[in-house]
Amino acid sequence: MINPFLYFLLFLKASLFSTGGFSNLPSLHQDLIGNGWAKESDFGQSIAIGQISPGPNGLWVISLGYLTYGLTGALLALIAITIPALLVLAISAGYSRIEHQTWVQGAMRGVSLAVVGLLLAVVWTILHQPGVDWKGALIAAGAFGLALSRKVNILIILGLAGLAGYFLYR
Amino acid sequence: MKLQDPRPGKWQLFRIWASIGLQSFGGGASTTFLIQRAFIEKHKWLSMEEFIYLWNLCILTPGINLVALTVIIGKKLGGTWGIAISLAGMLLPSAAITCLLTAIFLQIENVAAVQAVFRGIIPATGGIMLLVGLNFALPLIRKGYKEGIFFLFLSGAITLTCAFAVIFLKLSVIIVILGAAILGTFLFSSKSTPPLYENDQEEQA
Repeated sequence: MINPFLYFLLFLKASLFSTGGFSNLPSLHQDLIGNGWAKESDFGQSIAIGQISPGPNGLWVISLGYLTYGLTGALLALIAITIPALLVLAISAGYSRIEHQTWVQGAMRGVSLAVVGLLLAVVWTILHQPGVDWKGALIAAGAFGLALSRKVNILIILGLAGLAGYFLYR
Repeated sequence: MKLQDPRPGKWQLFRIWASIGLQSFGGGASTTFLIQRAFIEKHKWLSMEEFIYLWNLCILTPGINLVALTVIIGKKLGGTWGIAISLAGMLLPSAAITCLLTAIFLQIENVAAVQAVFRGIIPATGGIMLLVGLNFALPLIRKGYKEGIFFLFLSGAITLTCAFAVIFLKLSVIIVILGAAILGTFLFSSKSTPPLYENDQEEQA
């Protein structure tokens, strides 16, 4: 049984301690799997659906909410990603005062390095999804290369990957 | 730059954000571009300098930077109402479509062809995510490189330790981030360099 209040708090916590749309994944992965409220495959599926849906990147958690807890989950996830964004108002009020303090910049730099580490953990989680084998690893490498070139639209990359999946695994 | 256009009406503001949200595919760069085009070029409500300042605030804000940007631009253009309308426009239509696609997926997830397609798409998102990580890392690598091999090595070591701690030690993400912030305060504060990401405003969704 999912406890809606705790479920919401887990999403809110993950969002508060993240930056960018994906670094909340490791936290959600630990907590939801730990509580038995999500399956391993929910993560890969929601990120894939998030990528083919419009909107800012971070909306994949709405799909995760829907997969794990239906419309209620999607709504709680939406609220959870909105609240931290409102903190920009407080930051805007205090920023000019601490902007040039060296410790703020040092701490921010530490956090930025941690976020890169978290994104590596996201990649790790995705590549350890059930059903990802060596052919999947090749698809991942190909997608990375195409995205790196910046010449191919992300939707086209995902379309090609889906096509590859269709022919490789059908 | 002098601002020329009168403040936007509520419905107009909602429509602009909704069209930005619905046209955003594949992440931050395209969304940032659409926001600049709508609010700086098409309607002269913001100057580029203001936009860069607001964007820097959003990088310091936890969560999705683009949602924070929606909040702060909304406030600038319409106060509290502006925030509510901008958030609704940016998030609700896109979130509704995300829900719809998820619901459709749940209906057809047992079809063998759908499973095969997703087995292809899921690892591809992993490859794309690696690029997102690289984009975050580049300004940090550049900075470390300028300061010398020791700081470059230190930066790499902190990043890999954080990844290791989350993946293998299953350490709580909060502890990892706070630990990195404290380490950063001690290791990097002596370096008085300009703020990170000064002019680097793409790819941060």
